[in-house]
Amino acid sequence: MPTDIKMRAEIRRYDPGVDTEPRYETFEVAGQDNWRILDVIRSIYERQAGDLAYQFACRVGRCGTCAVKVNGVPVLACQERCKPEMKIEPLTPFPVLRDLVVDRTEVEARYEQHAYAPQRATPYAGGPEPIDPLLAEDLCHKGSCLACMVCVSGCPAVEERAFDGPAFMLKLRHMADHPADSGNRLEQAIDAGMLECFGCDLCTQLCPADLSPAQAIREFRRDMIFGGSKKHE
Amino acid sequence: MSNATLPRNTTRQAEGMHYGNVARTLHRFSGAVIIVFVLVHVIMQAVRHVPMFAPVNASWLQTVQEQNWVHAILFFCIAFHTLYGLKLLVGELGFNIRYQAAFWGIVGVSALFALREMLRYAGI
Repeated sequence: MPTDIKMRAEIRRYDPGVDTEPRYETFEVAGQDNWRILDVIRSIYERQAGDLAYQFACRVGRCGTCAVKVNGVPVLACQERCKPEMKIEPLTPFPVLRDLVVDRTEVEARYEQHAYAPQRATPYAGGPEPIDPLLAEDLCHKGSCLACMVCVSGCPAVEERAFDGPAFMLKLRHMADHPADSGNRLEQAIDAGMLECFGCDLCTQLCPADLSPAQAIREFRRDMIFGGSKKHE
Repeated sequence: MSNATLPRNTTRQAEGMHYGNVARTLHRFSGAVIIVFVLVHVIMQAVRHVPMFAPVNASWLQTVQEQNWVHAILFFCIAFHTLYGLKLLVGELGFNIRYQAAFWGIVGVSALFALREMLRYAGI
């Protein structure tokens, strides 16, 4: 049974058009211990700060739009359990549009630049193409990335080095494994800073969809060492 | 698992230990400890055996170097740095090692080296 609790949420407020620098506002929230962070944010928006900017869509962890940082850790707000004390901030390193909303223009541009759709050597003949069921399952799993950017925000290599981030590597690996794709995804991954990854697996731990971008990077590195990227040679 | 369902219906990511961060920090720290110890060791040997450095009073370095806890930390660092480095190398070859198991395994084995040093100094 959920129990009533009191929470203290410190939220980073910033409107680039009005504020000269970000500030933190503290809110006392009465809720229940089974609330998610998104419930806390919505409660604050509805009862205490009607001008608070935040975003969400599905509320069940499928869309990835509600990602924020809680106590310094990137999480999906609709999935993360509330805490008695929490500091809620927008995802880094993305530019802030307002309060908890970040600008995803660069993310979308990066997705477009990497051409995340199978690049066919020959035109699609029509009809179903035979595929190994195990490979199909693996591709489906990799394709379930929410693009929430939680892994990119948590990645220490993104912070320190010229690295696009784990989410992009996972998507490139998804395409590299796709039988219909003929693009040189390994080269794309290297250009996107794949070699800068520390191999710490933090992205794997944080991923809300239980994916492993770190393993995708390891597979790319294996291909680089052993020349295993079969279909591109 | 269906794609329409969510693998996790609640998370506590902001509360748990982040293995990647801890392992990466320990890897860097252990590397720094090894470098410092090698430096101290080289200085000690120079003071002992090179006549030019004989007037230097570095007996305190000798004392520090012979502390059992210093040896325990050093052996932990050497073991951790080596094993974690090997784990990264194995990962480069495409093998998937579970990060939690690898972390605790490496910390455990490294702690055994530290314990052995403590026991050696205690004469056990």
